[in-house]
Amino acid sequence: MLKEKWKEYRKEKMLQQLDSAPCEFNKIKKSTNVVFNIIMTVLALLSVIPFIFVVIISLTDEHALTMNGYRFIPEKWSLYAYEYIVQAGESIIKSYGVTITVTVLGTLIGLFLISTYAYALSRKTYAYRSFFTKVITIPMLFSGGMIANYLIVTKVLMLKDSIFALILPLCMNSFNVIVLRTFFKTSIPDSVIESAKIDGASEWRLFFKIVIPMALPGLATIGLFLTLTYWNDWFNAMMYIDNQDLIPLQYLLIKIESSIDFLANNKSMLGVDGITAAANLPKETIKMAIVVISTLPIIFAYPFFQRYFVNGLTIGAVKE
Amino acid sequence: MKKNFLKRIAAAGCVATMAAGLLSGCGSGEKNANGDDVVELVWYQVGDTQKDSQMVIDKVNEYITDKIGVKLKVNYVGWGDYNQKMQVIINTGDKWDMCFTCSWANDYLQNVTKGAFLELDDLLQNEGKGVYEAVDERFWEAAKVDGKIYGVPSEKEIGSSPMWVFTKEYVDKYNIPYQDIHTLEDLEPWLEVIKKNEPDVVPLYLTKEYTAPTYFDKIQDPVGVEFGDDSMTVQSVFNTEKMQSTLKTMRKYYKAGYINKDAATTADDKSVKRFVTKGDGQPYAELIWGKDLGYEVVASEIMETQITNASARGAMTAINKNSEHPEKAMELINLINTDQYLRNLLNYGIEGVHWDKVPVDEAEMAAAEGKPYIYDCKVKLNEEKRKDYSVPYWVQGGLFSTYVLDNEPIDKWATFKEFNDEAEEAPTFGFDFDLSPVSTQVAGFRNILDEFGKALYTGSVEPSEYIPQMEKKFEATGIKDVINEMQKQIDDWKASK
Amino acid sequence: MKKKGKGRLDRLRSNKELLMLSMPGAIWFLLFAYLPLFGIFVAFKEYRLSGGFFESLIKSKFVGLNNFKFLFSSGDAWLIVRNTVLYNAAFIILGIVLPVIIALILNELRNKGMAKVYQSAMFLPYFLSWVVVSYCLYAFLSPEKGYFNMIMQQFGMEGVSWYTEKVYWPFIIIFMSQWKGVGYNTVVYLASICGIDKTYYEAAVLDGATKWQQIRYITIPLLRPVILILLIMAVGGIFKADFGLFFQLPRDSGPLYPVTNVLDTYIFRALKTNGEIGMSSAAALFQSIVGFILIMIANKLVSKVDKENALF
Repeated sequence: MLKEKWKEYRKEKMLQQLDSAPCEFNKIKKSTNVVFNIIMTVLALLSVIPFIFVVIISLTDEHALTMNGYRFIPEKWSLYAYEYIVQAGESIIKSYGVTITVTVLGTLIGLFLISTYAYALSRKTYAYRSFFTKVITIPMLFSGGMIANYLIVTKVLMLKDSIFALILPLCMNSFNVIVLRTFFKTSIPDSVIESAKIDGASEWRLFFKIVIPMALPGLATIGLFLTLTYWNDWFNAMMYIDNQDLIPLQYLLIKIESSIDFLANNKSMLGVDGITAAANLPKETIKMAIVVISTLPIIFAYPFFQRYFVNGLTIGAVKE
Repeated sequence: MKKNFLKRIAAAGCVATMAAGLLSGCGSGEKNANGDDVVELVWYQVGDTQKDSQMVIDKVNEYITDKIGVKLKVNYVGWGDYNQKMQVIINTGDKWDMCFTCSWANDYLQNVTKGAFLELDDLLQNEGKGVYEAVDERFWEAAKVDGKIYGVPSEKEIGSSPMWVFTKEYVDKYNIPYQDIHTLEDLEPWLEVIKKNEPDVVPLYLTKEYTAPTYFDKIQDPVGVEFGDDSMTVQSVFNTEKMQSTLKTMRKYYKAGYINKDAATTADDKSVKRFVTKGDGQPYAELIWGKDLGYEVVASEIMETQITNASARGAMTAINKNSEHPEKAMELINLINTDQYLRNLLNYGIEGVHWDKVPVDEAEMAAAEGKPYIYDCKVKLNEEKRKDYSVPYWVQGGLFSTYVLDNEPIDKWATFKEFNDEAEEAPTFGFDFDLSPVSTQVAGFRNILDEFGKALYTGSVEPSEYIPQMEKKFEATGIKDVINEMQKQIDDWKASK
Repeated sequence: MKKKGKGRLDRLRSNKELLMLSMPGAIWFLLFAYLPLFGIFVAFKEYRLSGGFFESLIKSKFVGLNNFKFLFSSGDAWLIVRNTVLYNAAFIILGIVLPVIIALILNELRNKGMAKVYQSAMFLPYFLSWVVVSYCLYAFLSPEKGYFNMIMQQFGMEGVSWYTEKVYWPFIIIFMSQWKGVGYNTVVYLASICGIDKTYYEAAVLDGATKWQQIRYITIPLLRPVILILLIMAVGGIFKADFGLFFQLPRDSGPLYPVTNVLDTYIFRALKTNGEIGMSSAAALFQSIVGFILIMIANKLVSKVDKENALF
């Protein structure tokens, strides 16, 4: 009896709290919050330090770098790497343009393809659900390999030296479809769909007007994954692009990295020729500067996606 | 939506087809001043695209269109990507006419075995007569696979000679007779001197790319034949007495503190002060090393330069078996290797833009009297523009018809020629191992070599303990089969010679 | 017979709209995933060129399973498989546990602004390639000049030759892999948590549930579908390893091979000088087949306990 009463009291108290101070409602204790903040700060620092390190290296004097190796506080600072990049300007700006175009177009095309496909799969009434799930499971594991892909892209689809060779091969993948399907399944109650169907909404309407707004966190996640995939891709550029005006930023970087690596590993075969060839490649500081300038834009683009999954729009709000 | 998607694909396809049409349009139908049809040749080269590449190639095209009715399209592929990209281009039967090939990238022998390259023997008697006669016949010997030639070698140094590279500062300070130091054992007293007197200096600085002095042709690393072994006994390099004693010496040096502790994993760190290191050299290599390190060095040969197939196949140009214009391709290769204007244009860029001719000192000219490959000018690179066109010279053709730079001796190429003439042929020179019967076994070797090789070569581990371990692994992978197979092939080859 | 045909047609008709929604994606899969599958045949051939690719493929000698042999020919096959599977098992478990914990913490933080900052920060490592990461790590671990050894020496300890002592590496590799991936992996769970209907929590609070109870009885069960599906997919990749992690990070150091050699690095080294595309196709096919079998098993197991959340 007493227990019942106490429970009621607490419920009342809770409701009061809810009214009087909505921001305190259902929050963790202040002390726990401090502990969590400390843990997160440590993790965040661990993650940021190497990046800061990269920024510092890019600002180190090349000679000081060869003499002292990597240092957190370099003997001599220098803006040389960035000056070099500004001078080489044209190609870097072109590459920026390519990367941004590919990323934006690719993410949009990809989101369309993935979400339509995933939505159909998420519908329990869809008769071909199991068939189309199997269709995407096999390619998750099996692939025809580099040579077969090259043949299809260049000979069948005729995409060699086309910007679509950088976009189309990456816009869809089984992993993203399955993740999004799961999002749809868990975040959109069957009742919502059923009631919309009863109202006579077509699947297209249902998809665009109800499902997409409700699944924004999921779509933002997949959108982010796609953006990152495109932003970081260099392999397709290596395979399909000979035209220097269509080289994305990442490939510029990877080319330098792999060239340095190759020349170092074949030192004994190349002898002094390797040294001469390596002397023509951009130096360490420039490489790091490219890492920095190729990462910055995406860091700034990040919050755009982030607002959907950190403290995101609640689906409750949409439902009303 | 479906339509939309298809439209995109169709649009992309149209663009690509149109672009392809435009490109090929340039080749066909066009005629040069003599009224001949102009054909376009696609040439894949290793090395990064230069800012002014297209400008130079346009200039080249101006010249060769009229001269031989050819237009050139060069596709430059970065160093690190060349192997992979060429594998795709070649295996898919993509369009290409000529490509760079050698023993260390876009492997010559593999491609020949695979059937990718055209046999050039006939062409070399006709369109390629000039280059065939100009290039040292041992390069042609090396280019032969089963008696047929599949690539035109770029004439350069025919073998690399392993050298000890000494920092001049210490050589002078301690009066070290570096020219008399050849073997690994010769180094010992001086390493000790440095160790005692120069605490900041690493006496023998080694990096992970280091290979201990090897008196052995590793035909299929580690299997091969010892230099000077005319009976041609096939064995593993680690079985030879010479290598075993070398590794023991390395270990001794390592334990004595002569060698840097991180030798097996470090990349060349130029900030480390060293007394001696090993390099793979050629004439005038000291200059390049010195420039790279930022201080003067001197060098002495570890052993006589040995010519192996791998070393003489250092740079070659091959023609596609399916090329539509093999004769034209050969004509072009021939022209590049025999025409001074064209050769230097490709090599250094456009005269007056990327470089200028400078006269040669008269005394120097007089001293070089009678030597081969002497030209009446040198090249001064334009300080500003040189970085916009800087390509690896030997990718395009032989070096001996290029002018030398103003800071190089006028008889540079004559010295190279002498160097080549003095080089000795390894007993196995000319033999190619067909590994297809044992490719499974061979595939396992690299893992074992990479696991143990660096540590053993640098003396980081005890050879008496690690060699047996390694041997055991090699045995498990089937090194016996490889040795037997190679011995069989070598015996057949010897008999047919 | 007729009836069956009609049933099929009806089914088609009633699913017409959803079918249309599936089509764009299906066409993509047909073009980019299924058409190239003919490449698998290369695995059974000793590929030699004669004309175009297809002509060459047909004319090349059929060698059966010969191209697969090299995978098992080395005495280390067992060690390599063991390394691959154990590391991946660790990655799969940690790759679920850590991101879920971090997502839960981030979600509970009172200061949402900081939560965003933390989350962005943890994402940064994802952008650094393994090559760049390996340089950074070397700055810490280099035996001669690294920060770790310098600190240790200051405390009177002897420096460690990090790149030859294999005992530390399983830890380093697992740590670095999580360090690089945790930010990325957290996103899925964060988004899932965001997608949870807030009324569940409101109701729970009214019933007097503690924070811990809410997590245990609401959040985790609602995350289950995502966790399970990611788990199944990860199991399919258990024979594939992140090449850069095992090759670049340990700087290809020989003495570390017993703990760093995995299938992908083994295959890379085995084939780097031989150029037989048949053998590389065979290696990839082998990894796919094993992955396929494992995914099937995992899916079966999951569907036994939780039919709703299995892959299919």
